[in-house]
Amino acid sequence: MTGIREYLRPASIEDAWAELSARGEAARPIGGGIDVHLYVPPGTTVLVDLTQAGLSYVREEDGVVIGATATFTQIRESTAGESYLGGVLRDVLARVASPLQRNLGTVGGTLGSAHPWSDVIPLLLVLDASVVVYDGARRTESVADYLAGRAAGERPLLVEVRLPPAAAGSACAFEKFAATGFDVATLNCACFATVRAGRCEAARIAVGGTPGLAVKLADAEGHLMGQRWNPKTIARAAAAAAAAIDARDDRRATAAYRRKLAQVGVARCLRRICAEGGGTE
Amino acid sequence: MTITVTINGSLRTLTIDPGDRLLDVLRREGYMGVKVGCRTGDCGACAVLLDGRAVNSCLVFAAKADRADVVTIEGLERDGQLHPVQEAFLDEGAVQCGYCTPGMVISAVDLLSRTADPTEEEIREALSGNLCRCTGYVKQIQAVKRAAERMRRDPR
Repeated sequence: MTGIREYLRPASIEDAWAELSARGEAARPIGGGIDVHLYVPPGTTVLVDLTQAGLSYVREEDGVVIGATATFTQIRESTAGESYLGGVLRDVLARVASPLQRNLGTVGGTLGSAHPWSDVIPLLLVLDASVVVYDGARRTESVADYLAGRAAGERPLLVEVRLPPAAAGSACAFEKFAATGFDVATLNCACFATVRAGRCEAARIAVGGTPGLAVKLADAEGHLMGQRWNPKTIARAAAAAAAAIDARDDRRATAAYRRKLAQVGVARCLRRICAEGGGTE
Repeated sequence: MTITVTINGSLRTLTIDPGDRLLDVLRREGYMGVKVGCRTGDCGACAVLLDGRAVNSCLVFAAKADRADVVTIEGLERDGQLHPVQEAFLDEGAVQCGYCTPGMVISAVDLLSRTADPTEEEIREALSGNLCRCTGYVKQIQAVKRAAERMRRDPR
């Protein structure tokens, strides 16, 4: 690839931060590096590969802790991938790209690139994930805050993603609409709910690829919170999600079609949550 | 810059540019079984094993392979004997024009190194990143099944 003059593989996050800080705008951190091959940011001359910085782990520890350079395959094959919320990580990550790319792609790379079609971001939003970042000191923030900071130009390094332990009666589902098996999403959505004794105690809905970046939809969630979990509330929440998304036309789909997809996708997710154990406790 | 990488069991020291793709470096070094297809990670023709896992070498910076173990299609045979996956591809007629075959075989080797008795669904999933423009997917799946049987019977 032309333009890249230096490739560094620091042994710690602190070293990586020092290298990036010293080189400024010309330097870019990478995990698997897929994104830089496909969309090289203009002016990039230095790549700082984080895969030797000790962040390639997946641990079950008060929920799940995923190091920034853990690959999608590694997450899928981990014990947590199998067990967390009925295997939601294993199942959803199977919908991301191809096996060959999943052996390279990392959770940190996905968040760092923050592509609007990312299948991982809506999932992390509804799982109420937080991230540990480093910019000279470590701090923890929500995924939504991380993405907002990123949009405002902040570039802390991602250290790890943390998924909280799931309460009893919780389930999560994901839906993706794409032109081919591993094309990026025309639209995707993820839903999470905790249902006890037939009543919804927690609900999170996120829709991505609208074609904007995934966001949580508080209006739609409000139609579920505290309500009986039944086809009527599901239909109301799905309709509210479709109305709330920032749907726009692009080469993949029209805004109107995206609203239809959002309605169908959210309804499917919520019905699957019902079928897969939400509410059975 | 210089990298030291084990390719098909041989330790090699290579001079590369920091932005070089592993695909281009391998072909420059004579490993022509690594095919150039899309160069965007879509077709899988350039697949190699990087530390035991199948990856699109077009999406890997060669610098990432420093101190790593790389296996190309040329590195699968042992003492003049083809790998069971290669043999099964021949026996099942799973090779048509042959361009996608090295990548398909590499993906299958990755699968069978972890799953001795894969289901058809697992085989289809494992090969889903390898496109065959002759569209010969049925025989390739049969070939992986046959290779799995042979490897269970006669582990190497």
